Amino acid sequence: MKQTHILILDDSPVVREGLKSLLDSMRNVHSVSIAGTFEELMHLLERKSFQMVLMSPHYLLTHQSQIQQLRSQHNSIKWIGVQYSLFPEELLNKFDGVVEVFDDQERLSAKLNKWLETASDEDSQSRESLSKREEDVLRLLALGKSNKEIADELNISINTVITHRKNISQKTGIKSVSGLTIYAVVQNLISLDNY
Amino acid sequence: MMSKNDIHPESKLSEIIISHPYVILLLEHFDISLPVQDLSIAQICKQHNINEALFVAFTNLYCNKQSIPSLNLTSDDAITITRFLAASHRYYSEQIYPEIMQLIEQMSQQNNHREMKLVSVFFADYFKEVTAHLDYENQIFHPYVECLVERDKGIISKEIHINYSVSQYKDHHDDIEMKLTDLKNLLIKYLPSRDDRLIRRKLLFLLSEVEFDLNIHSKIEELILIPLAIQLENKFKAVRT
Repeated sequence: MKQTHILILDDSPVVREGLKSLLDSMRNVHSVSIAGTFEELMHLLERKSFQMVLMSPHYLLTHQSQIQQLRSQHNSIKWIGVQYSLFPEELLNKFDGVVEVFDDQERLSAKLNKWLETASDEDSQSRESLSKREEDVLRLLALGKSNKEIADELNISINTVITHRKNISQKTGIKSVSGLTIYAVVQNLISLDNY
Repeated sequence: MMSKNDIHPESKLSEIIISHPYVILLLEHFDISLPVQDLSIAQICKQHNINEALFVAFTNLYCNKQSIPSLNLTSDDAITITRFLAASHRYYSEQIYPEIMQLIEQMSQQNNHREMKLVSVFFADYFKEVTAHLDYENQIFHPYVECLVERDKGIISKEIHINYSVSQYKDHHDDIEMKLTDLKNLLIKYLPSRDDRLIRRKLLFLLSEVEFDLNIHSKIEELILIPLAIQLENKFKAVRT
């Protein structure tokens, strides 16, 4: 089953700890991390992959451009607003969804599951084995080719190469080119002779 | 309300270590040796002249508590932090990385798969990268922070390292944990085995230990030392203009 990692950003310890304890007890939530400052949030996002971020809408006012950038970098994450006072509708509409502090656990759970389902549909295609195309990309990568060279050789765009690389790393858990090269040798995708 | 598991100045270090053994690494980086008897954090801090709030914040990190409280730190704390980081650098470069390399060598001799030779090369290259990273911090960034501190205290007055700034360090600061995770994944999921269960397990435990420490190390750098250094930097800018 797909693992769900959630990140909560709030400057109030009461809110973030309270939310965390509710979410921690939910069956399909694998881990809940908390950040007390925006810097901490950025730090955690760099280091770990999350499926959902919950934050108070006021961060959209104070960190608008950073959030915009983060959302384009992490486009598979669902960004959820946590509403505990009145915020203008147009602000709340910028989120993928909104939870309210008055939501009880059942309601919270129903909302989260709905959002996570739409998220997992998008990347639910086999998580383990690499597709034929991904293997092609990996083989060339392990032979030392650049993204541009791979794109030319396989007749695809550089963006597609990057997407394939992202999926390869997600499936194998290996990010560095040298690590992926070892993987390619183990899987007999390349032989040591051409390495 | 303070829960039983919260860490505070009155907490006994021995009890914390029993449930979170990696705190021993924190003690080593502060140059504190076991045994600690029944000493509390406050007592240990007094003995070793360390800011209690800082010690509590670091201990929280080593106990997997993610959130860092806002700390009101001084230039003395900056020195404590650079010493702590320098000690952890020695732990990486003189202890744990060489130990890991040795195990990889052993495994590569025992498990004569060709892939293991690649792993040896992979790790040797990675160790070079790490060494360069640590050298940079030891030789450039930490001395720079020490200069900022000395200026803050009025010990030196002339401009030093004026061509350098914290923002350059931030650019230079790369991710040295990634390849550790790669290696763990290779060992856990893919590398073929040949009677190497014991070495592989030892290797994975060591990799997890250094990964744990490195993760906290970069949190301390990014969330505590860098903001503090910027604060010290700005103080001078304000004075100069």
